[in-house]
Amino acid sequence: MDFFAKIAWIIPLVPLISFLVLMTLGRGFRKAGVWIGSIGALGAFVLSLLVLTERLKPHAVDYSYNFSWISIGEYSLRIGFEITNLTALMLVVVTLVGLLVNIYSAGYMASDERITVFYSYVSLFTFSMLGLVLSDNLLSFYLFWELVGVCSFLLVGFWYARPAARAAAKKAFIVTRIGDAGLLLAILVLFWNMPGHALDFTMIESVFGGQGGVITSGITTLIALLLFLGAVGKSGQFPLHVWLPDAMEGPTPISALIHAATMVAAGVFLIARTFPIFEASPAAMETVAYVGAFTAIFAAVIALAQNDLKRILAYSTISQLGYMMLALGLGAMTGAIFHLFTHAFFKALLFLAAGSVIHAVHTGDIREMGGIGSRMRITAWTFAIGALALAGIPPLSGFWSKDAILTAALTQNPLLFTVGLLTGFCTALYMTRLFVLVFLGKSGSAAAHAKESPRVMTIPLIMLAVFAAVAGFVDLPWSGWLSTWLSDEVITPHASIVVIVLSIAAGVLGIGTGWLLYGRGKTTSRSIANWMPGLVKVAERKFYIDELYEILFVKSLRVVGICLAAIDTYIIGGVVKLTGAAASAAGRLGLRLQNGQVQTYGVAAVLGVVAIALVVIGRRMLS
Amino acid sequence: MPEQTLFQPLTWSDLLVMAPELALGAWFVLLVVLELLLPRAVSRNWIGGLTLTGLLGAFTLILLRMLESNGEVISLLGDSYRVDDFASMLKLLFLAATALIVLLGLGTVRYDRAVTDKGEYFYLLLPAVIGAMTMASSGNLVTLYIGLELLSITSYVLVGLRRKSSLSAEAAFKYVITGGLSSAFILFGMSYLYGVIGSVQLAEINAALPGALEQYEALIYTGFLMMIIGFAIKIAAAPFHAWSLDVYQGAPTPIAAFLAVVSKGAALAIVFRMMFATALFASPDRTSISSVSDEVFFIVLLVAAASMLYGTLAALRQLNVKRLLALSGVANAGYLLVPIGVSFTIGHLNNMSEFLFYLIAYLLMTIGAFGIHTVVSRAAGHDELSGYAGMYYRSPWLALSMILFVLSLAGLPLSAGFFGKLFIVLGAERAQAYWIVAVMVLSSVISYYFYFGLVRQMFMRSSNGLSGASHSLDNDEDAEEGYGFRTSGTSQTLAAQEAKAGHIETAGSSEQADEESVVQSAEAKMENSLSSSLEQGDGVIRIPWPTGIVIALCAILTLALGIVPGPLVDIIQQLFSFPLPSH
Repeated sequence: MDFFAKIAWIIPLVPLISFLVLMTLGRGFRKAGVWIGSIGALGAFVLSLLVLTERLKPHAVDYSYNFSWISIGEYSLRIGFEITNLTALMLVVVTLVGLLVNIYSAGYMASDERITVFYSYVSLFTFSMLGLVLSDNLLSFYLFWELVGVCSFLLVGFWYARPAARAAAKKAFIVTRIGDAGLLLAILVLFWNMPGHALDFTMIESVFGGQGGVITSGITTLIALLLFLGAVGKSGQFPLHVWLPDAMEGPTPISALIHAATMVAAGVFLIARTFPIFEASPAAMETVAYVGAFTAIFAAVIALAQNDLKRILAYSTISQLGYMMLALGLGAMTGAIFHLFTHAFFKALLFLAAGSVIHAVHTGDIREMGGIGSRMRITAWTFAIGALALAGIPPLSGFWSKDAILTAALTQNPLLFTVGLLTGFCTALYMTRLFVLVFLGKSGSAAAHAKESPRVMTIPLIMLAVFAAVAGFVDLPWSGWLSTWLSDEVITPHASIVVIVLSIAAGVLGIGTGWLLYGRGKTTSRSIANWMPGLVKVAERKFYIDELYEILFVKSLRVVGICLAAIDTYIIGGVVKLTGAAASAAGRLGLRLQNGQVQTYGVAAVLGVVAIALVVIGRRMLS
Repeated sequence: MPEQTLFQPLTWSDLLVMAPELALGAWFVLLVVLELLLPRAVSRNWIGGLTLTGLLGAFTLILLRMLESNGEVISLLGDSYRVDDFASMLKLLFLAATALIVLLGLGTVRYDRAVTDKGEYFYLLLPAVIGAMTMASSGNLVTLYIGLELLSITSYVLVGLRRKSSLSAEAAFKYVITGGLSSAFILFGMSYLYGVIGSVQLAEINAALPGALEQYEALIYTGFLMMIIGFAIKIAAAPFHAWSLDVYQGAPTPIAAFLAVVSKGAALAIVFRMMFATALFASPDRTSISSVSDEVFFIVLLVAAASMLYGTLAALRQLNVKRLLALSGVANAGYLLVPIGVSFTIGHLNNMSEFLFYLIAYLLMTIGAFGIHTVVSRAAGHDELSGYAGMYYRSPWLALSMILFVLSLAGLPLSAGFFGKLFIVLGAERAQAYWIVAVMVLSSVISYYFYFGLVRQMFMRSSNGLSGASHSLDNDEDAEEGYGFRTSGTSQTLAAQEAKAGHIETAGSSEQADEESVVQSAEAKMENSLSSSLEQGDGVIRIPWPTGIVIALCAILTLALGIVPGPLVDIIQQLFSFPLPSH
């Protein structure tokens, strides 16, 4: 029975309907907005869960449906949706986090006057993200990919009265655009090279997986790298990671939903969907692995020296996405998806808990916090669970998914394994720093009047904490249930004592170092700053990437821009004006005919006949 | 032999095949009698409702026939009346369009005091649509001509229905004269063909053409040229379109929509059938007629190109919305002529689906735009572009629908018009008629300018101090109360407008009139509205429910076809039964 898979196309429509209803209602209906948004998310979640349970039965067959969207001559462009184990899992992740964020926002955004608009954007985002997940071909995937980008733009700039939010929204949109251009080019190259111009994932799998040599290895690598460029933009990988920390200007529930759990993972999902292309190109795989590993360690180091609560989490997200890319590059697709799955929960949890803190203290600067733990117990405990999961402490979920990735790295590339371990150490370190500075120690300047958030915000935290704690059990090193289910192959259990021990050691060491450095009342980061001033300064400035871009691209492009603008104004503009004047003169001439006299119309008709005859005769004489 | 086939008697089963047309005819007679008997106090909207019922009934009959016949071609009266899928599909379109126009009429005619006979307004649409249906089905020049005249003569009356408006009378008069000119061209062309071939059956003309061409090439040339010109007048293709601006402006707005959609569509359909049924394109020994065939198709493309360019260029300076829509109709006639003119080639065989798809898109966007215009012009009290100023703030949904229609007219994505134009462009490209592709693209680009001028009006212009204007659904009592005042206002306004602007009567200065009348009349209006606000429309946008239904339907379908055109194209291509005679 695949009844629910067959009706899976309804899932994205549910939030779409909420979006349309919310748009129609307008800003007045504040309570109704919350309810409509949340009910839409709930409906989508329930349906997704039903689809997933159906998929859990043994030997579930992938279901796909498509129809001819546009047919031109013999070529027909088909679009549709596809339910595989991977898409079913993603559906549940997206709708579950979406639902919890919807509930949470009822509290977080309660005092915002545009709360209905907020909910309508969130519903639109959920629709687009679900559409992206369900797409059975790259073209509609791309449409939804752009649509989530638009939603991200709208939501990052939601408080558009703040200049920083406007700038961040623009930056997010423009930087990811570079990646999107890569994806578009990849689709075009695929379109030209695929047999029958097919763009659906099934066809891609059979063409590239079959090793038939239909497409040369050069083209394959080109396509894979272009696809990866798209993923780099969307998933905030080095060097296009700069937009993600700035995107934290958006409301915190959005950071949790879009910039932690779902949209930024779309890049990973893209590579997982087109994995056969990557597998066919060793060079592309290596690129993915190294870029991922570098991003992982690079972002983790930056996170060590940041002082904004949400920015630290943003760099942590970049770093963890790097982990997933690393896994993909090593061929451990299931490991990457497993980490995506656990990360979605604990990172959404961390963001929502951070939002709860910010909601209470009205600042994001961790230097002004401190001692909040005793005032906000639920937030502190759930945050701690999320932080430990992120730091990779067993038996919480993050440990198991990192273990899967590290095991793959150890067998293939010791260098990348070391980088992974180091990242794990840094992760544990910055999370300890964060936790200590925010929740423990003396009460900071902003924290004096902090109160626990309302229940509508804490309940999603508790639920996410439960998932963050237990989600890892779906794929233990010695059972590998998730990997088997995802890949339809029997995976030999990959338990490696070395990895488990080293990974735990890295986590514990990180926490210990953090405690030594920041615990026991040393409430500032000055201590390491004194110790290694250079590195801290560089990390604080985010390795000067933004400054580099400013000089390299923005300034130099501005010079080019000025030259082009001059050409545009004087040469192109002149031509345009001339054309406009010509068109307008022609129009004037045309109106002369329109003088209201039927006689003139008749004369015009006769002249028209003569003109046509002349043209035809002239044509005959010329040929 | 032609003489034998011409006199086949009509049998009972033939009557059954023609049931939709005959039923509509009977319904029409019934309504005429009913209207005579109805007391004056009874609202003529009942007649409108009954007309609508009749149209929907005929629609159902045709749909059933199509499902039943399954692509089979039925020809009656010696092949002079053909019921094939091409004809049925077009008839469905005409009936649906007319039904929408009746709905528009229900929404407007009540408030239009210039229309004295409100019953006629509705039931006269029936013979007009029967004429259009006859044209779509004709396999014979005589049937074709009868259908054409039935449609035309009824339209003359419909255009002149605003008896208290001299603008309307003038429009009707001009339409009669131009219509006569058109008929003259067509009959002249037909007489040549008949004279040379000795038959009026399209199928027989097809068979005899190659032989006849050897002797009478020039005569056949003239025949086709004259017929194309005659139809081009009906289609309102440039440079034979000049009547359409004045006529659309003078006619009641829903009737203008009828002319723009059904009249034009029927004439295009007949050109399509004539061009393709006379097999000018794919005769077995193509060589003998290739040059003539080539040139006749070239003439069609030439007219198409002229229409596209003229329609868009002239619209650049047009500020009267009805005239603007008329020009947009000229340009669209050009687009619709392209799939007819590029003929068939080996790589390109779906002219039919391109044509039908764009015709459907055109139907939706044109009726939708005219529908919105009925509402806006009533609110503004005039037909000028300035009536749309700040519409978004008065009625956001109406403005959004208008944007959708404008997108569709301009051929931009997310609208049916986009795919319609795309299919036509791709078809022309595959037929290797690159120059017409260039003209299409160029005229589309120019057209963005004035279409977006309309959007700019709706968003960026304030609504001239129309304070307190808000979007409210129509309330019947309300409307009836305001009735007496508004009507006297309307006729005065019209008189004033004609006197001031005078773009129809005065020769020579009309170019200025087109540009400046707006300013003048707008000024006049401002003064007027200061003195008595009831003289003009009060700026409040009221949407009567029938109009609301039409606009919503058109908008939803335009959007739906703009997102997923596939299914409709599939349906059309499945139905595709070639309009070739069965010989």
